[in-house]
Amino acid sequence: MGVAIVGALVLFALLGPLLSSHDPYESDFVRGISADKLPVGPNATFWLGTDRLFRDELVRLAVGARLSLFIGIAATLIATATGGVVGIIAGWFEGRMLDAALMRIVDIGLAFPFLLLVMALAAALDHTTPTTILLTLGLTGWLGTARIVRAKTMQLRNLDFVTASRALGQSTPMIMLRHVLPNVAGPLVVVATVSVAQMILAESVLSFLGGGIAPPTPTWGHMLFEGQDYFTTSPWISLAPGLAIMASVLGFNMLGEGLRDALDPQKQ
Amino acid sequence: MIARLGRRLVWAVFVVWATVTLAFVVSHALPSDAVRMVAGPQARPQDIARIRSELGLDQSLWVQYARFMSRLVHVAPAGAPQGDKAHATCAPLVGRLHLDLGKSAQQRRPVVTILAERMPRTLVLALAAAFVQVLLGVSAGVLAASRKKTAIDHLAVGVSLLGISAPTFIIGLFFQWFFAYRLRLLPLDGWGDTFMGHVASVILPALTLGVFGAAYYTRMVRDEMIGQLGQDYIRTARAKGLSRRAVVVRHALRNALMPIVTILGIDVGTLIGGAIVTESIFRWPGIGSLSVTAMLDRDGPVIMGCVLVTAVAVVLSTIAVDFVYAALDPRVRAEQ
Repeated sequence: MGVAIVGALVLFALLGPLLSSHDPYESDFVRGISADKLPVGPNATFWLGTDRLFRDELVRLAVGARLSLFIGIAATLIATATGGVVGIIAGWFEGRMLDAALMRIVDIGLAFPFLLLVMALAAALDHTTPTTILLTLGLTGWLGTARIVRAKTMQLRNLDFVTASRALGQSTPMIMLRHVLPNVAGPLVVVATVSVAQMILAESVLSFLGGGIAPPTPTWGHMLFEGQDYFTTSPWISLAPGLAIMASVLGFNMLGEGLRDALDPQKQ
Repeated sequence: MIARLGRRLVWAVFVVWATVTLAFVVSHALPSDAVRMVAGPQARPQDIARIRSELGLDQSLWVQYARFMSRLVHVAPAGAPQGDKAHATCAPLVGRLHLDLGKSAQQRRPVVTILAERMPRTLVLALAAAFVQVLLGVSAGVLAASRKKTAIDHLAVGVSLLGISAPTFIIGLFFQWFFAYRLRLLPLDGWGDTFMGHVASVILPALTLGVFGAAYYTRMVRDEMIGQLGQDYIRTARAKGLSRRAVVVRHALRNALMPIVTILGIDVGTLIGGAIVTESIFRWPGIGSLSVTAMLDRDGPVIMGCVLVTAVAVVLSTIAVDFVYAALDPRVRAEQ
């Protein structure tokens, strides 16, 4: 189920813009406008209707899907890599200065209001592009991953195969890479999948609050925000991006759960 | 026990200090000019210069930081007269210890006063949301676990998965549309003028936050309960002839609640820091919406106030959770 939703989403992002002959940035004042000067609802020309500037909702949704997926996946890669490295190192040196220092950084990061940091960084970078958003999300999103990987590494550290490879004279970085990493990879993949959902969510929250990618670039969060004032007359403007956000978050969450069940021998 | 609490508190002070310092640097690194935001785009250069020196923004970052930290928590002189100008923006903490966050650049009022106005409202919302979360989450989780693999279980798991995937701004907009616009049952947003108005106004934001949180709780309680119901002591209790209800509620649930306490504590801490999105949608005049407007207005002192409240709430709730945990679980107590 999760695979199906995520697959459909990827297909939509790749092929969606081809479904419509309209331009995502161009208003259509002839066919996109209704008799009482409001955006038209879903019809044969505009499958999902038009937005408040009479632009095609479907093609904007598809361009938004590309952005959301790109930001979600790229930010997750950064967060997972950072969280994985920090978690393995902290777990391996548990109880020592290095571990204490790293975990204190995580504590401070978790106490810091996440949205403030992201909005401030976005503001500091002046013109917010997809790259700045994914960098900020990636560099702030690794804290939870680090904690989970650390706990897992601490369990592994005392197992026989680790002791054995140490007795064979392997260096610490080598053991981390060859023995610890493959064993934490399972939970890491699960966390990463769920994290894609959270990144998509975080991006849409940012756009919704006005701290995301600047218009006219279509993002789901901002489309939802724009539709808010038209909820009573043209509900499709906010309904489409709202459902898109929900479906993609649901898809990645379900994919993550499926992976966890598949990778966890105790659950089988 | 007391030594441990002391250590944790010292650490808490450090985390709060580090968070506040980080926020100070971040909010001063913002490119747009706070003075411009106060004076407006048409202001004359001499007015801008005057406001800049009034706000102390013409000093170097180090001087501003040193002044901010020395004022943040300071000792007032003994016998200072009431209405002393030097302490006009202070709030007394304990004895002669004062907390001073300065004046809001936009509102021209002491930040501590603004925070004192907003805190109770955010607290009300946080507690109401936590209540909804626990009530819905725990009952749905228990029901699902005790009817494992039935339609009720599948329904609870499915709905909770949907709930986890629906961000608060989608749930919130839906509730506004349905309850406030279609049914005209509850106020669309705001805080209300009368006591009953406050009560009616808190329902939708609390439900929004609560439904989202309850989805997590349902899944967690369900997983925990299924684990507990498979334990030997449950079989013993059943063999003793206890009713199904007594076994589920008095034995399994009590043990399954431990992890919930942890998450609940942290959740309440985060909620007290302000539910930024939900407060913004419902125009709830609490800490969360305050921090958004402060950030959009580049109102440095107010941003610092919001960060301070959030950091203190999160850190204190983490400590509280640890100690409640120890009080509830004899095994954790013995380990210490």
